[in-house]
Amino acid sequence: MTVRQPPPVRRTPRNVAFTRALWRHATVGVAAFVFGLWVTGCPKPPDGPRYEGAGADKPTYGGTFRFYVTANVRSLDPQIAFDTLSGTGIHLMFDGLLDYTNEAKLTPVLAASMPEVLEDGHTYRFRLRKGVHFHDSPVFPGGKGRELTADDVKWTLERLLDPKTQSPGAFFFTAIDGAGDRQQGKTKDVRGIKVVDRYTVDITLAELDQTFLNSMAMTFAYPLPHENYEAHPTDVSFHPVGTGPYVFDHWERGVRITLNKNKHYWQPGLPYIDRMVFDENLTPDVAAMRFRNGDYDHGHHFRQPDYIFFSQSDKWRPYMFSEPDVTIWGYFMNCEMPPFDNVHIRRAIAAAIDRERWARIYKGRYMPTGQILPPQLMGYDAKLPHAQKFDLDLAKEEMRLAGFPNGLPDPITVWTQEGESAKAQAELLQADLRKIGIPVDIKPVSFATYLTESGKRGRVPMALSGWNLDFPDPADFLDVLLNSSAIHDVASENRSFYSNPELDRILNAARVEPDEAKRTALYREANDITAHDAPWVFIYNPIEFQVRQPYLRNYTVHPVYKYNYRFVWLDLPRRRLAP
Amino acid sequence: MDPRAWKRFRKNKGALFGGVLVAVVTFAAFVGPWVAPHDPALQFTDTLIRGDTGLPAAAFTVTGHPLGGDAIGRDELSRLLHGGAVSMKVAFFATSLAVFVGLLVGVVTGYFRGKFDFLAMRFVDVLLSIPFLIVATAVQMIIDSPSLWSLYLLLGLLSWTTLARVTRAKTMQVSELDFVQAARALGASHGRILAKHILPNVLGPAIVIATTMVSTMIIAESALSFLGLGVRPPAASWGSMLKEGQEFLAHAPRLVIYPGLLIMMTVFGFNLLGEGLRDALDPKDSR
Repeated sequence: MTVRQPPPVRRTPRNVAFTRALWRHATVGVAAFVFGLWVTGCPKPPDGPRYEGAGADKPTYGGTFRFYVTANVRSLDPQIAFDTLSGTGIHLMFDGLLDYTNEAKLTPVLAASMPEVLEDGHTYRFRLRKGVHFHDSPVFPGGKGRELTADDVKWTLERLLDPKTQSPGAFFFTAIDGAGDRQQGKTKDVRGIKVVDRYTVDITLAELDQTFLNSMAMTFAYPLPHENYEAHPTDVSFHPVGTGPYVFDHWERGVRITLNKNKHYWQPGLPYIDRMVFDENLTPDVAAMRFRNGDYDHGHHFRQPDYIFFSQSDKWRPYMFSEPDVTIWGYFMNCEMPPFDNVHIRRAIAAAIDRERWARIYKGRYMPTGQILPPQLMGYDAKLPHAQKFDLDLAKEEMRLAGFPNGLPDPITVWTQEGESAKAQAELLQADLRKIGIPVDIKPVSFATYLTESGKRGRVPMALSGWNLDFPDPADFLDVLLNSSAIHDVASENRSFYSNPELDRILNAARVEPDEAKRTALYREANDITAHDAPWVFIYNPIEFQVRQPYLRNYTVHPVYKYNYRFVWLDLPRRRLAP
Repeated sequence: MDPRAWKRFRKNKGALFGGVLVAVVTFAAFVGPWVAPHDPALQFTDTLIRGDTGLPAAAFTVTGHPLGGDAIGRDELSRLLHGGAVSMKVAFFATSLAVFVGLLVGVVTGYFRGKFDFLAMRFVDVLLSIPFLIVATAVQMIIDSPSLWSLYLLLGLLSWTTLARVTRAKTMQVSELDFVQAARALGASHGRILAKHILPNVLGPAIVIATTMVSTMIIAESALSFLGLGVRPPAASWGSMLKEGQEFLAHAPRLVIYPGLLIMMTVFGFNLLGEGLRDALDPKDSR
C-alpha cells in the first residue's frame, strides 16, 4: 500500500502576489480602455441626413411616418388628455369645430364657418359642416361610421362637464350657462347648449368671455360619438373614434401607438400618409441618435449637446426649425410666506438675475425676458415701463428698502425639479442672489411632487416654474397664474399666492372686453403691474427647436400645439445620401 | 502587532505604490481647498463660456484657468481640488464610523457570545441582504434636507457589517488562546482583557478592511452623487462632477475624464494599500 504524498504546497512569494494584483487591476483597466475604443470606433451616424427625398414638387401619397415622444402618452381620450404628447395623438384622430392656423388664428374645421354671435351678445351659433362621418368602428351598428350632428357637440360638452368624467379641462368651459349645475351633478342637461337643428347648435354663456372660442378649439371640445363611450365607458382611451384624418389601430401602452389612414376623410385628397407609428418613452439622447440614423422622420426634445450638434451642422441647417415658444420660465415666489411677503425682497431678486448671462450659457435656446407675457401675445410690450431687468444697484437699493442692506441672515429654500438642467439653473440663481447677500438652499424634487406641493398653501416658498400656453390669449397666462380667483388651499394654480384686487379688476374687465384695442391696453397694464410687483421673477422664453428629415414635407412647428403632423407627406422613394 | 510587518510591507512594491498614491491624494485633499485658484462656486460666464456655442472653454485656452471651465462656467481645476476634499472627507468620516461600530459590535459579540451575539448577527444578516444603493437612495429622498453629515451617517451605518463579522470571528479565536485564559484565571476584568489582549489582536484585520472600505466609500459617494443624492449644489464632489459632465460627453469629454481618472486612481491606491497591509499583517493568509 502506498502512502500518498500530500501535494506540494504551492508557495507564492508575496511580491508575485502583488504583481498579480497589479496585473489584475491593470487588465481590467486595459479591458475598459479597449471597450471605450470599440464604442467610440463603432459606426457613427452620419454627420448630415442619411436620406434625402425624391424631389417631388407635388405631394406624394403613401408611406409610413415614424415619430416619437420622450415620455408616456397618458391618454387618447379627448375629454381627459391634457398634455402636449397626448394632444399630438388626439389631433391626428379627431377634428374640432374650431382649430388654429399656423399663424395661431382661429379657423373653422368641423364648423362650416366661424360661429356667429346672436343678438343677446353672448350666444354663439355653430353651424356644422354636412357629410362629415366618424371613423368606421365596431361601436356603430354595422360597423359603419355615422354622420356627425349637432347632438354630438352637445353630448360631448355635457360629458366633459359631467363630474364623473373628472376632466381636467372642464374649468375652461365654466362660462357656459348651466355648466356649474352640471358640474355639481344637479342636472344631466346643460341649458346653455341648445341643438337648433341637425347641423346647428347654440352655446350661450352666462356672461361674456372673450376667451371662449379658444376653449372650443381645445381638444377637450373635440366631438366624440356617444356610441364610443357607451361601448367602452372606462377606456375610450384605447378605442378612440373621431372624425380626423387617421384611424386608431393599436396601442401597446408605454411603447407604441399605430394609426392608419382614414380613407373616407371628409377633406378630399387628404391625408397623404398611409400609416403613422408613434414610439413612446424614448430618452432624448437615444431619440437624437435614432433620428440621425434615419429611424425617425422628425426630431424634437433635444438636450443641449444634441442641440449644439444640429445647430453647428451645415448639412442639417436647411431642415431645422428654431421658433420662439409661447412659454414663460422663471421662479415664482410665494407672496404669503416670508421673506417674499415683502415686495422689496421680490423686486431685489427680480433685479438681481443677470438674464443675459443665462442666455449666454443656453445659447440659442433662451430669450431673456422680464414680463409674464411672451412676445406673441397681445399685451406684450418690448418697452414695458416696469419690465424686470438686471440692475445690481437697483437690487441692492431694494434690499435696503426691505430692511436688509447686508443681505438675508437665513438662506431661502428654492425648489427645483430633478435633472442636470434644473440643477444648473438653480446654481445660476444661487450665484446671482449671492451678489445681493441672499443665500440659497436648493431642494430638488420630482415633477409630480413639485406639482402637488406647490399647489398647497404656505408650503413652497420659491420654485423654478414654467407655463406653456393652452390657447394664444394673455388670459391663459395672467388669469391662470396670478388672478386671485386661481388661489386655492390645495391644487392652487396661482402658486405664488399673489392677490391684488386692482389686478383682478383689470383682468376680469379684460376677459369680457369686446374691443380688441381696449383689451390689449388692459392686458398691457396687467402685464406691467405683475412685472413691477414681482410675484415671479420672469427670466426667459425658451426657443422650440425641431429638425425634420429632408424628405418630410409640409411640416411646420405649430404655434399652439407644437407638433402638427396632420397633413405632412413623405417625398418617396427616399434616396440614401450617406452609408 | 507583528514587528516584522513593516519589513514585509516595505519589500512590497505594489503596496508601496498604493501607499504613495494614497498619500498624494490625501495630501491633495488637505491642501486642495487652500491652493485652489478660485472659488469653486464662482461662475466666469464671460470668459469660460464660449460666446459662439455656449460650450465651456477647453483646457489651456483661457489664462488663469488651466483646466478650462465646466458647463456653467466654473473653474474646473478649483472644483476638482475642492471636490477631492469633499470626496475624501466623506470617505474618511464614513469609514471611521463604520470601523467604530463594526469593531464594537464584533468584539463585544465575539467575546460575550450568548443571546446578544445571536440577535446582533441576525441583524447583520438582514443588513447584508439589503442592496446598499436602494436603502441609501430611499433614505436620502426621505430626509428633508440632506447634508454632508447625513451622507457620513448613512454610508457609515450601512457598511459596518463585514467588519463586525470578521472581528467577531477573530475575537472568538483569540479569546480561546492561552494568554487570554491566563489573564482570566488571574482575575482580570472583562474591560482589561478586551483592551489589553483582544483588541490589539483584532486591530490588524480591521485596519486592512478599513483601507479597502475607504475605496468603497469613494465609489458609494460617487454613485449617490451621480444619482443626484450626494453633495448639495453648488458644492462639488468627484461623483457629482462626473454626473454634471455626462451630458457633454460628446463635446467636452474632459469634464468626465478628469474626475473619473481621479476616482479610479484613488480607489486603485487604496485597494493596493489594503491588500499590502493584509499580507504584511497576516502572513499566514498570504497566497
